[in-house]
Amino acid sequence: MDALLNFEYWPEIGTGTVDTLIMTGVALLFTVLIGLPLGVALFLTGPQHRSPQVRLARLQAAVYAVLSFMVNVLRSVPFLILLILLIPTTRWIVGTSLGVQGSIPPLVIGIAPFFARLVETLLREVDHGVFEACRSMGATTRQTIFWALFPEALPGLLSAITVTAIALIGYSAMSGVIGGGGLGDLAVRYGYQRFNTAVMIVTVAILVVLVQLVQMLGDRFVRRLSHR
Amino acid sequence: MIRIDHIGKTYRTPQGEFHALREITLEIARGDIFGIIGRSGAGKSTLLRILNLLERPTQGRVLIEDQDVTAFEGEPLRRLRQRIGFVFQHFNLLNSRTVYDNVRLPLRVAGELSSADEKRRVGEVLDLVGLTDQAQKYPRQLSGGQQQRVGIARALANRPSVLLCDEATSALDPETTQSILRLLTDINRQLGLTIVLITHGMDVIRAIADRVAILDHGHLVETGKVLDVFLNPQHATTRSLLADIGLDAESGVLSNGASGARVVRLTYQGETAELPVLSQLTRECGVDFSILVGSVGHLKGTRYGQLTLEIQPSDNASSNGGASAGSPSDESPSDESRFQRLLASLNRRGLHFEVLR
Repeated sequence: MDALLNFEYWPEIGTGTVDTLIMTGVALLFTVLIGLPLGVALFLTGPQHRSPQVRLARLQAAVYAVLSFMVNVLRSVPFLILLILLIPTTRWIVGTSLGVQGSIPPLVIGIAPFFARLVETLLREVDHGVFEACRSMGATTRQTIFWALFPEALPGLLSAITVTAIALIGYSAMSGVIGGGGLGDLAVRYGYQRFNTAVMIVTVAILVVLVQLVQMLGDRFVRRLSHR
Repeated sequence: MIRIDHIGKTYRTPQGEFHALREITLEIARGDIFGIIGRSGAGKSTLLRILNLLERPTQGRVLIEDQDVTAFEGEPLRRLRQRIGFVFQHFNLLNSRTVYDNVRLPLRVAGELSSADEKRRVGEVLDLVGLTDQAQKYPRQLSGGQQQRVGIARALANRPSVLLCDEATSALDPETTQSILRLLTDINRQLGLTIVLITHGMDVIRAIADRVAILDHGHLVETGKVLDVFLNPQHATTRSLLADIGLDAESGVLSNGASGARVVRLTYQGETAELPVLSQLTRECGVDFSILVGSVGHLKGTRYGQLTLEIQPSDNASSNGGASAGSPSDESPSDESRFQRLLASLNRRGLHFEVLR
């Protein structure tokens, strides 16, 4: 107990935790802002939604092919390599590739395609009859998405956000390797470079607790919003 | 009200062209309950979905209130659909929204009412379908019949002039089916709403339809007033659909009857059905009948009856058992003359009959 209280790295661990929370939170916000429309676009141009008009259907197929290819490319590059590849882009966007700021763009670019795929799948799983009902009452595509598909998919969307947040916590730790901030940075500097096992264990413990909390919170929201 | 003019629908498949519908021409009158019936794969669902252009015909035109809507796109198409209610077999409600919000959705889509008026309208249609006290429940908390009532309320919210029902009762148990059919009949009467429904069951047609069209493999094989089609089916598909509900007048009658006996099918409806025909005939003509097949009842308020009668040969001919009696040529003249007297008597009463044997 005494050892824990006198642990000299608490202040740094505290800042690291806060940094991790900021990185994850901001990255999650942008991930949803980019991934949600991207997922909707994938859904609307996807194989199940081709227009009966040949020309329109061809356009849809082309858009889908391009979006799908981009998403797949980004998802197939290992995140650590993506981090390095994106350094110039990151500098251009936020002015630095280091610290909390420098971690956020690669996190968003790395995870938004994953989130978009989750959104696409969730929308596809909404009962096709609901889509049909909206069409038959003369709803526009926008009305159908906002008034029917999103509400129907909401519990699933919240689960997807939870899963994405947890993946982000993991990725944010990885950005420590190239000088990003947060708990990952601490673990790399102390645990890996200075063989300080104690700091590494504490950071891992904090990460575990964070993940548990996010999952619990997510589950609670999902339960409240399900009417099944 | 609705004119379907030489409608055809062809799908291109890897195996070649598939004709879902061919040359369908129909007229649906305002205020009618019009049933479209056929086996699965007959094309009835495609035909219904063409009426609000959920599917596009590959040939022909759809006219609604004398307006050719076949080429409608975008905003005009959405406005058209807002005037046509659609009821689904599997209800297709939003499970994440309350009954109230489900019924309000088409009103929001149309965007013509203030929110106070929307509220009032939702109240009205929920009242109409008898679900006022369920407004704040979620669809999953309701029974199938109640969910379909929500579906009907939603379809009626925008005061449509036509209601299309796609197998609206096929997912429900028999008792619930009856209550939904009663509801549809009430709506038809109260609001003067034209209803087009598709089904694979003649019992649904019998319960509520005024007119019926029978589809078979994409062809329209028969259409007419329900009573006429029921009492006088022309096509084999119609007869087989009627047989499903035990209304196949002929099957087995002609082969099993006692030979030498004459068989007459008597059809009556409306006023003639009120007469005590059989007992009068027995007295007047001195003949005895047995009823081989019979169906009597009410259809949409009209009394009707159809009886297939076997006229018993006179005692001397049938004394050694009907089966061994001779061919019609051996029949005693008195049998034949009595039979002719019977036919004259039927004629005099204006009854429709056919001599089957």
